[in-house]
Amino acid sequence: MIAAVHERVGAGENATRAREPGWWLVAGQECRDLWVSGRGPVLIFAFSVLLSVITYLTATNQVLNFLEQREAVNLTLQVAVAVGVLVTLVVSADAVSGERERGTLESLLLTPVSRRGIVLGKLAAALSLWFAAFVVAVPYVWVLGRGVSVVVPALALGLGVGTLLALALAALGLLLSTVSSSNKVSLAVSLFLLLALFAPTQLPTGAPQGWIGDVLVRVNPVAAALHYVSAVLVNGRGWTRDLSYLISPVVLVLLAGGVLVAAAPRIVRLHGGVSGS
Amino acid sequence: MTTVTLDAAGLTKRFGARTAVDDVSFTAHRGEVLGLLGPNGAGKTTTIRLLTTVLTPTAGEFSVDGVPCSQPTEIRRRVGVLAESAGYPGHQTGRDYLRYHARLFGLARRDAETVATRLLTEVGLAERASSRISTYSRGMRQRLGIARALVNDPSVVFLDEPTLGLDPAGQRQVLGIVRDIAAGRGATVVLSTHTLPEVEEVCTTVLILNGGRVLTVGSVADVTRAVAAAPRSARLRVPFESVDRAADALAGVTGLLVRAVDERPDLLTISMTAVGADLNEALRVVLAAGIPVLSFEVEGARLGDAFAAMTTAGTP
Repeated sequence: MIAAVHERVGAGENATRAREPGWWLVAGQECRDLWVSGRGPVLIFAFSVLLSVITYLTATNQVLNFLEQREAVNLTLQVAVAVGVLVTLVVSADAVSGERERGTLESLLLTPVSRRGIVLGKLAAALSLWFAAFVVAVPYVWVLGRGVSVVVPALALGLGVGTLLALALAALGLLLSTVSSSNKVSLAVSLFLLLALFAPTQLPTGAPQGWIGDVLVRVNPVAAALHYVSAVLVNGRGWTRDLSYLISPVVLVLLAGGVLVAAAPRIVRLHGGVSGS
Repeated sequence: MTTVTLDAAGLTKRFGARTAVDDVSFTAHRGEVLGLLGPNGAGKTTTIRLLTTVLTPTAGEFSVDGVPCSQPTEIRRRVGVLAESAGYPGHQTGRDYLRYHARLFGLARRDAETVATRLLTEVGLAERASSRISTYSRGMRQRLGIARALVNDPSVVFLDEPTLGLDPAGQRQVLGIVRDIAAGRGATVVLSTHTLPEVEEVCTTVLILNGGRVLTVGSVADVTRAVAAAPRSARLRVPFESVDRAADALAGVTGLLVRAVDERPDLLTISMTAVGADLNEALRVVLAAGIPVLSFEVEGARLGDAFAAMTTAGTP
């Protein structure tokens, strides 16, 4: 059987080398797993149902429809960003710990792709979920914002701020996934973190007043980013005036992403937890 | 069998206070099938993970095909591994799975397709190439795992319990593939298994581990001979209807005690009860009586006996 085949095309001298870097190949496969046969379409469908309900209520409900059009766009955009980022975090929190539990991580670790390449590929795949969520949100924002020239700035803000948040939380989720002892732990910690970050944005009276309140908003990357969106969209502030609110999301990207990339060779391993190997 | 493909020296791995692999040294050559034996927890899987760079050794060094362990990426290009607890993405087809892994090893799209198709044929999965892995039987998954271990045309192939959970036909199929990898490809195969008859059948050399340490390494014959005591008993299997005749024939041989085995009515155990008795004489008597002999196994002459003796005593 195998002995009979001598003329082989292997990874040896005669083979044509692939041009794509390892992380790109991992990202491509992860995206196929996510979108062709995974949870991606289901999550995005659920996301679009949620946005439909929010948009419908915003446009027609007697309690909500007093909202000024800009506020309606802002509300829908904030929901889109928040939920889009949430699903990105959930997917990334499963990326390494889930593979460990399914027994598929070892075969990936046995390839020449570096461990940094593996996490970068998984990060890119998780971000594809955010970009899909954003694309789904576009028609809703367009419907609500027609006639007040807010659609383009709202979409640009949503894309920029949402991508920043998605990158930060996806990196954080991946970091948790790599160091967690089990997939359950990774998902539970990620969801708790998400609740802790989003809860302050849902306070009925908005952000707490005074300098303490301002600090609380600024240190929470999600609250700060959504505050920036509101400031530009609803309050009509200039794009650069409140940029300082984006410091905490940027810091989170640099910290989580930096630790992930720098420590990947040590923390992406067969067993999670502190005593893993 | 002259080219050294695997060379380990003083390989040690500690997890906290526990030493999983302790000062393991050995070499393996091109075309050799090395059986890696040991009781549960002996350090077989850890040794494989060290040699395939999944784990980093606490001490010691090794090389694969001349590449030192300081170049893990280059080593991974030269090894193929079927892991003991390998999982498979059930939603992918066998072809997609192999193609993806071939791409990860640097093959261009078209070559990856060619390699996937060829390997699926070689392991007998060509007809199921487009089926989802979730529909594969355990034996098919094992063969797919072996095919994945070969996508990079490795110099050394590590197979960790490749026949675990397979039916006899599946086991034979996998062992045939193991032979072909060594003989046809000229690769070194490191076969970790608990099934000793498998080792006797396909392995050229064996390495027995216990408690993370190497007990012995050498050819199957050498290892067996090293611990074999002078034979004291044998097991004779004859057709069921001939058992009584065989027992009667053996009763006339001095110095031998013949007993029936309750749970195996076709089996007799023959023990030496006097110095100078000869187990071969028992075989001659039975044959002379015209009784067909289905098997005649002298206790202590099998690898299993050597393995049991070594792992129980802890030393060769």
